[in-house]
Amino acid sequence: MKDEKVKTIDVIKKKRSVSAETKQQHKEYNRIKKLILKSLEPEAKTIPQIAEETELPADVVTFYLMTLRKYGSIETGEIDDMDEYFFYKLKK
Amino acid sequence: MEQQNELSFDTLVIGGGIAGSEAAINLANLDYKVILVEKDLSLGGKMIHLSKVFPTLDCSACITTPKVSETIRHPNITIYTYSEVKNIVKVSDKKFTATLVKKPRYVNEDLCTGCQECEDKCPVVVKDQYQYDLVGRKAVYVPFSIANPRVVNIDIENCILCGICEKVCPVDAIDFTQEAVEIPLTVKSVIIATGFELFDPTQILRYGFGKFKNVVTAMQMERQLVPTRPYNSVLRPKDGKMPDNIAYILCTGSRDETVGNPICSQICCMYSVKQAQLLLGALPMADVSIYCMDIRAFGKGFCEFYQQSIGMGVEFHKGKVAKVTEKENGNLILRYENIENGKITEVEHDLVVLSIGVLPNPEAKLLFNSPVIESDEFNYIKQTDELVCPPQTNIEGVYVAGTSSGPMDIPDSILSAGAASACSANYIRN
Repeated sequence: MKDEKVKTIDVIKKKRSVSAETKQQHKEYNRIKKLILKSLEPEAKTIPQIAEETELPADVVTFYLMTLRKYGSIETGEIDDMDEYFFYKLKK
Repeated sequence: MEQQNELSFDTLVIGGGIAGSEAAINLANLDYKVILVEKDLSLGGKMIHLSKVFPTLDCSACITTPKVSETIRHPNITIYTYSEVKNIVKVSDKKFTATLVKKPRYVNEDLCTGCQECEDKCPVVVKDQYQYDLVGRKAVYVPFSIANPRVVNIDIENCILCGICEKVCPVDAIDFTQEAVEIPLTVKSVIIATGFELFDPTQILRYGFGKFKNVVTAMQMERQLVPTRPYNSVLRPKDGKMPDNIAYILCTGSRDETVGNPICSQICCMYSVKQAQLLLGALPMADVSIYCMDIRAFGKGFCEFYQQSIGMGVEFHKGKVAKVTEKENGNLILRYENIENGKITEVEHDLVVLSIGVLPNPEAKLLFNSPVIESDEFNYIKQTDELVCPPQTNIEGVYVAGTSSGPMDIPDSILSAGAASACSANYIRN
């Protein structure tokens, strides 16, 4: 039964293909995800710190970091001394 | 497209927001058989996404979710989500025909348990429309945590067809062979509860929405204020900083001839006052300023609610903001004419919220083939007998509920839905 169900992906693959834009978006997500996760490996960081280290725009870091947080790869740490920016760390 | 056998009901309710659900429940309680068609993946409309309601500050989801559950469980209501109605024709008295189109979710709704194992493993991330693009979602996803039905959907346009979801689904619910299904309908009456659209603030270039990341819409702020918020706190989308000096620009896209919407949206003043109060609760050290032409606090308890916000420290400035510019640190400069002293003033804030107005839903007019449904001068569904029978449209047997007929708040939408269901019952019975 399971083998039979697995074939439904093959059915749709015959009918439609993945657009170049979707492929590009997917590659971009993977690139940014790796950069953010690598940046957080040694220690917890704020969004501006990650942006500076990865050379990604801060709003791009915010979007993807919050997405990684939503899906459980990252968790929120303490807020900085100025009560402005939260630190984020890898979820263990 | 697959065809199915004809379905027959007493009333077709189009739209599964608070007005549509209310109308459907009222009729179902009178033993009429109702079909409720919702174009989105979940019932609940816009209300289910709100934080609190004004002026009582009751939890919006706590009001909406029991109503949605009641609608889904009612034995006299048949629900089609992610479906649309087209080609409505009045054939004769108390007989309408229509076509229902059920779009494919690529998931067997009867099997899916909403466990989200597929969502966890899906490698694709795109903008989450239910969080108003503040965060991402997967290509296979449960729309939001309190969605009902709680069933995943595959966003086929953004799917990379990797098949991982199908491999990991513990109940074999993923089904990529699904296609759209057309079902012929016959009903005795119709209730239009298609709701409203939100104004797109990119139309007002001088406010910089889309260009300046710290300019957000009130719906984006609404999401930041709910427990299922996209961020861990109220934060600036540009750099994750906790804002401490927030500005609201009222009448963004309402009472504005230049954007084609001359009328008042009726809810923006009060939802802004509500959000200002909630922000002062979430960020006790923050300053909140509201820039407005005037405050329209016309409903029961609204004026007291407005006065309460002044007492809490919300600052109101009379003046229409002319322009927003961004500083290098992401802060924003608001340029406006202070109506009280006539001076051009520039003020710095670190987050700007646009209190966007409401617009008619253009899809409502496209539902009908014959006769055509009439709209009023502002493109809302025309109420042909507003004083004696407010839900009545130009087609006998077709009634309008909620914001399909014009801007209104939640209590008025529910009242309007009650009237529409009463008129519909009366029409069928006589």
